[in-house]
Amino acid sequence: MVMQKLYTDPLNKVTLWLEHWTNVVATSKYNPFYYHGALPQFYLWVLFLSGLLLFAYYIPTIDNAYASDRLINAWTSVDYITKTIPFGAVFRGIHRYAGDAMVLTILLHIARVWFTDRYRQYRWVQWVSGVVLLLAVLFIGQTGYYLVWDERSLLLTRMTVSAFEALPIIGQPLKEWFINGKEITNLTLSNYLFIHIGLSFTLLFGLWVHYVRMARPVITPPPVVNYVLVAIILGVVAMFPIQSGVMAQLTQTPTTFEIDWFYLWPYWLMTKMSLGFFWLLMIGATALLTAVPWFVRSKPVEAAEVVLTKCTGCSLCDKDCPYEAIEMVPAPAGSRFKLLATVKTYRCSGCGLCVGACAFDAIDLPNLLDSDVTNQIKVAAQ
Amino acid sequence: MVETKKKTVITLICERAVDLDREMDEKGVLKDAPDVRVIKFPCSGMIQPLMVEAALKAGAEGVIVCGCQIGDCYYREGNKMIRERLLGERPPGLKKTVDRRRVVALWLSRLQTKRFISEAKEFVGHLQTLNSITEGK
Repeated sequence: MVMQKLYTDPLNKVTLWLEHWTNVVATSKYNPFYYHGALPQFYLWVLFLSGLLLFAYYIPTIDNAYASDRLINAWTSVDYITKTIPFGAVFRGIHRYAGDAMVLTILLHIARVWFTDRYRQYRWVQWVSGVVLLLAVLFIGQTGYYLVWDERSLLLTRMTVSAFEALPIIGQPLKEWFINGKEITNLTLSNYLFIHIGLSFTLLFGLWVHYVRMARPVITPPPVVNYVLVAIILGVVAMFPIQSGVMAQLTQTPTTFEIDWFYLWPYWLMTKMSLGFFWLLMIGATALLTAVPWFVRSKPVEAAEVVLTKCTGCSLCDKDCPYEAIEMVPAPAGSRFKLLATVKTYRCSGCGLCVGACAFDAIDLPNLLDSDVTNQIKVAAQ
Repeated sequence: MVETKKKTVITLICERAVDLDREMDEKGVLKDAPDVRVIKFPCSGMIQPLMVEAALKAGAEGVIVCGCQIGDCYYREGNKMIRERLLGERPPGLKKTVDRRRVVALWLSRLQTKRFISEAKEFVGHLQTLNSITEGK
């Protein structure tokens, strides 16, 4: 019955239909829908590599860094990367557009796991860590826009500061943490650089939590898909080269900026409502998104059970379990075998892969015993 | 003369793969191919090679194993596991005595009902020619 309801779900039907036709064109081996989680992961590596090159030449100050004759600061260093370094503009473009592509592929990833019902019950850790990762990615992307230190950066910084100041109690400390002091100084940009790069590496920790309940997570698309992903980015870089804005001047007050809808939409929201309402909306939306796995009442999973007298401790089920739900423990005293399989019920999806892995009928789904299935097969075969 | 009973083809199928609900009766007999009996699993990964052997031993003409498109398992890896087991790349595998000509595996998405029916009919035909060859010996 649950299955019936699920497949009448129109969103799931649309997803299935899309995937079916992608299979017809690209075959299942290269279907990007089957690597939906690996796509943003691949763009993360692209961002790390292109970011490394930008980092080598970036100077996080707002006034003259070396007391040199010419002004050398964040904006001029980005300008230097763009105009003087060979292929600097290309790497800057790759870094910008790979960031956008990462958000886009994350949205695809969210849509697919949501629409195909792969987000709740034993998968809640993946969903919740995914929400945290999404917020982190958005924030890291925004700090990237502060770093170039054009008029947009200045305006975004001031908007963020006023948004923080609107928060009770924690507002002031947050503001001072954010701009690294009471006012915008050179230290502000070094803090932005630290947040941008430091938080990027924390993504790896978040991803570890994201993957920890999955055996053999699919985190690398096939090479052909990778080439296509890079080609898309290069195509966009060639068609829409990144233009530097006007250098920020603390004495001036820019009022408009070009918006990147993947990262800067919260700033658009900020202009449409009071700051108090903005925070309520953001916090409320995050809480709602986090709670999505519990919106649907789920039938509890009937976890697999090990038949203690039959288990030989061969650990085939442990190797094949896709959710790391089986743990091999030392067999009790008096056993003929060294190990015994045990099921971590909170991780078990009730899929029965362990039943298929067991040659000794020693593990069973309580609602579908393999002896019953075998009998059913024998009756049907006669 | 002994009347030979018509033998059946057993289909072991993931309930999330090809949608056969409208194609079969409550006993799991396919309307378009009455020789074929369908037995559902929560995931094709639950199918044991032992079950394929049991079906053939109990007198089934052949066995169709059907899971979702490779890459699209709801439980992540079920169809890959049973494929590797049938191919002998992952333990436990099929016994060497099992007649490989009587086992077929299909990886079809929920929308590929027509494809399943035509493949099943083709398999039934293949088994008939196989029988005429082996009986002719």
